[in-house]
Amino acid sequence: MKEYRYEIEDPMGLHARPASMIFMEAGKYSCSIEACWELQKADCKSLLAIMGLGARKGDVIVFRFEGEDEEAAYYAIRSVLDKK
Amino acid sequence: MFETWKKHFKRGGGKREEILAPVEGMAVSLNEVNDPAFNQELLGKGIAVIPSKGRIVAPVDGVLTVMFETKHAVSITADNGAEVMIHVGLDTVKLKGEGYRSFKKQGEAVRAGELLLEFDLDEIRQKGYDLITPVIILNTAEYPNMECHVGKKVKELEPIIELQVNK
Repeated sequence: MKEYRYEIEDPMGLHARPASMIFMEAGKYSCSIEACWELQKADCKSLLAIMGLGARKGDVIVFRFEGEDEEAAYYAIRSVLDKK
Repeated sequence: MFETWKKHFKRGGGKREEILAPVEGMAVSLNEVNDPAFNQELLGKGIAVIPSKGRIVAPVDGVLTVMFETKHAVSITADNGAEVMIHVGLDTVKLKGEGYRSFKKQGEAVRAGELLLEFDLDEIRQKGYDLITPVIILNTAEYPNMECHVGKKVKELEPIIELQVNK
């Protein structure tokens, strides 16, 4: 299992555009990718789940990767998140 | 009983479900939306409505699964499983809720036709935003036989998308 802690920098939180970028990247990998925030968990392969977290600027989200290609998925999601 | 059975199973054996127009206006293809996230169907298939009235109503019976704090977009998970996102305008997240009013909270059950949002068409357009409103089925992959009705004016609750539900 790999983990990546990410603090949201977008002033509008995880709105449709950043959520959809995570969702599209997550769909390329077979491992499970979860975004955990407070007591909620979102499957990153569901755009609705990511948007439904309602995470805001300054919140820290923990992304958890588990499965065969977790290493590749970890770097791919990191690069999407760090792009902005 | 056989009659109701037949009614639900027309065309290809699956049950047809309708997604209704959440807003009054001109229904157009997603190709006409000036944003690649929508016009390349990256978020899913659907249609867009150029609104003529500043009201968004629930397009199905279901649960309001997302109400953005900025009130510019909502998602409803229909009782039949379809995930419908309604995004009012392009880049309107930047308005931070100005010009929008919400009438329901995230997590609430909604019935088709219930008022979800009101928005000020003139105010938002004056600020330079395109108010075209994509209506997207986020879990498009589950509905290979989706039919979208575009190229016509629609009133609230006119059918705009038909899905075949095989559950």
